[in-house]
Formats: sequence, C-alpha cells, structure tokens
Amino acid sequence: MDNESVIQISNLTKIYRDFWGRKKVRALNSLSLEVKKGEIFGLLGPNGSGKTTTLKLLLGLLFPSEGEIKVLGQPASNVEKNEHIGYLPEESYLYRFLNAEETLDFYGRLFKMSAEERRERSAELIEKVGLGHAKKRQLKEYSKGMTRRIGLAQALINNPDLVLLDEPTSGLDPLGTDDMKRMILELKAQGKTVLMCSHLLADVQDVCDRIAILYGGELKVMGRVEDLLKEQDETQILTSRLSDEAIKEIEQVVAKHNGKVGTIDHPTATLESLFLKTVQESKERPGQRFVPDTQEKKAAE
Amino acid sequence: MSFDPIPYDLFDALKHFLTVFGSTMFIALIVCLLVGVLTRGVKGIGDVFLGILDFFNQITHLSCRRIWSLSTLTIRESLRQKILFVFIIFAVLFMFAGWFLAGAADRPDLQIQSYIDFVLKAISWLVIPIILLLSCWSLPEDIRLRTIHTVVTKPVYRIEIVIGRMLGFTLLGSAILLVMGTVGYIWINRQVPESVQANLVSKVPIYGEIKFTDREGAPSAGLNVGDIWMHRSYIEGATKARAIFTFKDIDESDAINDELNLQSSFEAFRTHKGNMEKGGILYQFIFVNKDKGLRVDTAPLINKEYLENRLKINRKIMHESEDGKEKVEVDIFDDLVDDNGNLTIEVQCLEAGQLLGMARSDLYIRTPDHAFISGYSKAIFGIWLPMVLVIMLGVTISCFVKGPVAILTTMTIVLVGFMSKEYMAEILSGKMQASGAIEAWYRLITHMNSQTPLPDGPVKFMIQIVDMGIINFLWLCQQIIPNFGIFSNMREYVIKGFDVSWDAALLPGIVTVAAYILPCLIVSFYSLKLRELEAK
Repeated sequence: MDNESVIQISNLTKIYRDFWGRKKVRALNSLSLEVKKGEIFGLLGPNGSGKTTTLKLLLGLLFPSEGEIKVLGQPASNVEKNEHIGYLPEESYLYRFLNAEETLDFYGRLFKMSAEERRERSAELIEKVGLGHAKKRQLKEYSKGMTRRIGLAQALINNPDLVLLDEPTSGLDPLGTDDMKRMILELKAQGKTVLMCSHLLADVQDVCDRIAILYGGELKVMGRVEDLLKEQDETQILTSRLSDEAIKEIEQVVAKHNGKVGTIDHPTATLESLFLKTVQESKERPGQRFVPDTQEKKAAE
Repeated sequence: MSFDPIPYDLFDALKHFLTVFGSTMFIALIVCLLVGVLTRGVKGIGDVFLGILDFFNQITHLSCRRIWSLSTLTIRESLRQKILFVFIIFAVLFMFAGWFLAGAADRPDLQIQSYIDFVLKAISWLVIPIILLLSCWSLPEDIRLRTIHTVVTKPVYRIEIVIGRMLGFTLLGSAILLVMGTVGYIWINRQVPESVQANLVSKVPIYGEIKFTDREGAPSAGLNVGDIWMHRSYIEGATKARAIFTFKDIDESDAINDELNLQSSFEAFRTHKGNMEKGGILYQFIFVNKDKGLRVDTAPLINKEYLENRLKINRKIMHESEDGKEKVEVDIFDDLVDDNGNLTIEVQCLEAGQLLGMARSDLYIRTPDHAFISGYSKAIFGIWLPMVLVIMLGVTISCFVKGPVAILTTMTIVLVGFMSKEYMAEILSGKMQASGAIEAWYRLITHMNSQTPLPDGPVKFMIQIVDMGIINFLWLCQQIIPNFGIFSNMREYVIKGFDVSWDAALLPGIVTVAAYILPCLIVSFYSLKLRELEAK
C-alpha cells in the first residue's frame, strides 16, 4: 500500500437487490478513488448519487457487489480498523435516552480508553462543540443542530486518524455551519484525514482540498478544488469603490491591451457574512441594534 | 403432573446434544458450501471456511469491557423505558392476594401450597413476558433507528452486541427476580399462620427403585386396575404380591432424631367396601436384608387416602427371632441396610380383595428437612433459568427478523416448548397412536374410519410421503425447541414442600439452558455478519 493512502477504492460497484436477489438499483458503478493522508476530501453529488453508499461501504455497513476497498490498509470488513476511525452519520443516530456525557462515555468505552481518559476527552469535546450548557440533558430534548454537534463529538471521542462525515453541516444554522467548518479545518491542522460527503457546495468549497463529484453512482470529476475552479481565461481585479470616470478609464486601459471587460459591478456582501457579523456584534454589544455596514451608513457618518 | 423425579442422565444428554448439534452443523455446512459454490464459484468454498474461522476469531477475542459497556447500555435503555413499572403491578397483586387465597383454612398444608404457588406464578408470569418483549424488541429497534450504526462503526464485534444485549437483560431480569423473590418470601412467611409455620420447610426425600411381585411372589409389573393414567401399579391384598422399594446409599445421617421417616401416598382400589371405619386399607412394611437373612416387619398400618402418611420408625426395632421364641433388637441402619448401603422395603397390602397402588415416587425416606428458603431460592432459580433461555432465544431471533415477528416467534417457541413438547415426544416415540396430518384430513373428507386401511395406489403413496415430511419436521421441531416443562418442575417441588432436587430438576434445567448458548451465539453471529445493517 502507498504510505500516503488512507482510503483506496478500486472498481467499487454496489447493486441493491430485493429479497429474491433481483437487481433493484445500481447505486455505485466502478468507482475508483484514493484519499491521501492529511487531506480533506469531499464527495459531492446530488441526492442518490452514491455518496452515502460509498461511506457505508467504507465502514462495512454495506457489502460491495464488486471491487475492493482498503481503509487504513485493511479491508472494510475488518473491525480492528475502526479503532482509528470516527464516523458522523447523516442523521445523528444516537441513543436518545442518554445525555451528552453518558453518550460520550458509552462510545469511549468501546475504545481502549480508561475512565480518566474518557472523562477528560468527553469534557473537552462537549466544550468544543458548544454543548457545555446542555450536557446533562437527554438527547431526545436536543435540537437538530445540537444533535449534530454531539454526533461530531462522538465521532471524535477516540481521537481518530480518519474522520468520515456524512453531510456534516446539514441541519446546522450558519453559526453551527461555521463552527463545523472550523472544526474540520482544525482536524486537518492536527494531521487527520477527513472524508466528507455533502451536497452543500459552498461548505465543501470552503474546507476541502480535493473533491470528487458523483452522478448516478459514477465518478464524473475528481481533483483539487482550486484547480477545478480556476478560470484560466479570465482575470479578476477587486478594488475599493471607484467613481464612474475611473471605471471608464479602466475600460480604456483594458481595451488598449486587447482585453474585453466582462462585468464591472459594486458587489454585495453574502447573506451568510451579514448573519455572522450580526450574531458576532450582538454577542459583543448585547441590547444594541446592529446597523449593517452600508453606503448609507458611511454617508451618514 | 406425574411427580416422579427421575435422576438426570448427564452423559446421555450430552450424547444427544452432540448428535443433534453436530448433525445440524454438518447439514448447515453442506448447505453453505453449496450456496457458496453456486453464487461465487470456487471462491465461495474459501469464503465459507473464512466465515467459520471468523466466528472462532471473534469468540476468542471478545472484550469484557465492550460487552459490559453494551450491557449497561441495555440496562439503562430498559430502565428509561420504565420497565420498573412492573413492580407496581407486583405490589398491587400482593396487596390484595391474601383476600383471595385464604379460602383453604381447613387444610393448612393446601393453604401453604396455594401461597407458594401464587408467589412463584406471579413472579414468573410478570418477569418472563416483560423480558421476552424487551429482548425481542431491542435489537430490531436499534437497527430500525440505525443507532447500531454508531456502534458497529466502533471497534466492536457484532457478536459482542448480541452478548451485551443478552447479558444486560439477564442482569436486569436477575435484579428484578431478586427483589420480587425477596418480597415473595417475606409475604409467604407473613401469610402462613403461626400454627403451621413448622410445615414451611423443604423436605429432602430419598427415592428408591420399585419392583413388583405377583400374588405368587414371582416378579411382575404389578396389576393394572384399568386406570387410564398408568402411573401406578397395584398389589393385591393378602397375597404374596409385594411392591419392593430399594433405597441406595442409606446411612444414619438420613435419620431424624434416631428415627427413620417414611412418607407414603398409596392409592387404594377396592373390590368391596370393606371396613370404612378404620379410615383406610391396612398395609405393612417389611425391611429385608438378604445379606443377613433378615426380614423385619412393622405393625399393620392404615393407608389414609389422598394424604401423605408419615411414619416415624425408631431405628431400634424389636423383632422376633427366627424360631419365634425371643425378641431381638435390630438397628435399621446397622442391621437392615445391606453391605452395599441399600435399604430394601417391601410393601404388602393386608386386606383380601383390596388393592394398593403405588409408583416409585409414592414412598420415600424423608431425611432431615432443609429450611424453606433452600427450596424457595431454587424455585426462583427455576424462574431465572427459563428467563435466561427466553432472553437468548429472543435476542437471537431478533437478529434476523423485525421486533413483532421476533416476539411472535419466541412466544410460539416458549408455548410449544412448555405445552406441546411431551405431546410431540409421545407422537414421535410411537407411544401415542396417530396417523399423519394429511392422512387424517383425507379420512375426514372421505368419511373413512381410522381402522380401515388406506386403499393402495398413488394417493396413498403421496399421502405417506407428505406425512413423512411432516413427521420429520415435527422431529426437527422437537429437537430444536427447548423443553420449558423442565423448569416448571422446580416450582412443583417447592409447592409440594420439597427441596428442589439437584439431579432431577436443577441439573436438567441448567443443562438445557447451557445447551442453547452455543447454537444461539452461532445463529446470531451469522445473522448479523451476513446482514447489511443499512439495508431496509
């Protein structure tokens, strides 16, 4: 095995069959890909493209119809490999009658962790995912966002080398999404490998080093995010706001160099950045109304 | 119920287990190899053997830590599903039971029996169904809600999930049984009137072997008086007919206050009314030691019917010498027990025209009693054993079917194992005359009586072939379905005031449960191993 490879999938095919063995659907068709150590790899695709199936095949929850899978150098069916894997399912399938502390303690016990280690790690993770205030509440009382957070905590309880995240940001508010992305990047900084699948493209773009796009169970595109998104034939210049005269002069300069101006516009901020800024301001100045940083505000000042 | 505690033949049971288990495994292996070859070619054979190795690998690498963790999860889950509400039902039952059970005040022995019967039945009828529901429902729910995904993606063997569930339910059920058993014990002690508290003991009987002789003194099987229940055989009064009981390994430790205690419950069969004022038919015990040529008879005794007759015989008996001239003192344990430790007692009916019926269990030597708690705790253990068996079956079946189906299947096995096991055994052994199901159906629709032979031809051939299949299926069911009747025997012992016999009741119960451990683990292992937990 290549030392750098954490996941190796070759010619993986998965066919779902009915009770009588008749073919129902071909969920994956000859998928081959490789995930390197220390990278964040995104599996993209519309619903039903085979992302979650791939993840479940990697975890041994499903059995391949054809092809081969190696995870951390071992076959997917090997239970011992799970010692170094963390998994966040699409819905956080956790025991709803346990509270956050009990949940992490239970999953911690399934690894070779002492009681002291479990206690420390649980406390650390509960704080990290921002559930310190709700750690004694049963999970059935949690909101979806809180369940995702505790789901992530259980995936990280064993300090895994490989983290598999199925739709990690689904159900999270923008703040939670931002936290999740930050934590994913932290994992990368710690040298861990992350394989995530999502159909929220912006989230993937923000964190992934490489992506693969699946459609109809087949691999359509794979590569580094920046390489795939780089527009080779265009140049973008971003400046502070310019007057109409200055814009005309720029157009003349571009024309002089045989260039062609596509669009010149005054871009707006994203709704996400506005939301995050509002929440941040509200935290810092409670009780005060937040005034967005608009041209009108600048003119008034 | 025939209360005839027959010692359990462990070797025979082991041989039977190995035969059934071995042949089942062999057939399963052949089927797997065939399926493997048909679906995967030659590689399939290798896969089958790898699968077998995987079982041994997992079973030898079980982690107590993980199993314990899964067990505590099971317990916590059940507690938070409010299983302890069962105690409320239990408490309500006990608060009012005394009102309805006080009816037999004229027969304190029956009253004690009804109290013990009530307590033991209440406990088993409350605990076992609840545990059955929990054990059948738990794993399918885990699969349906996919919570199992977060467990099997940790370094956990699937067999550990099964064992964890089984252990968790066993611990939970044990704790419930312990509490209920303790409450029941206190309740019985408080309910039994002071005057008959002495009857609240665990009798320790020694049963012998029984043989009969006919009116001429020749060995026979005893007389049949036409009773459909052929449990007892009869001896004719005032003849040489005897019932000969031989008790093994008898010594003076079996005496109570230097007395040999004999307890009998013979049944009389009268050919004429006789003298009813005596209160029963006259009979006599004769102690026989062939080694010393001694025959020592007791004074005539009256057999009180439908009651236990307790006879306390001082170990020193005055006995007429052979010439009848002098009285000689003999010691039961020193002189009448033979060199091999056997005590032989002949029973003779003394009244002409009357018969006395008896079976092996109708005469026993009562040795020093044990405390009531001894038998009672074993009876509680007798509830614990089927509970464990139900848990094992429930969890195993729930590995391959959904919750409601698992409940129905387990319940059917328990009911068949409890009620129909002996019936099935009688059909299969040929003791019960029965035609096949299809033949019976054919006779029914053609109005043909059971004595008329079926006409020769293809119809008869087909009927016999199908019936043979059904009988073989019945045989398979009879082998696979556990005999739950074994466990209720323990309750019967205590209700009748006995300590629970180790070799006739406890050992068969323990062996029955133990026999299902490995098959249940194998079935659940392969059910979960071959199952895609994601597949719906």
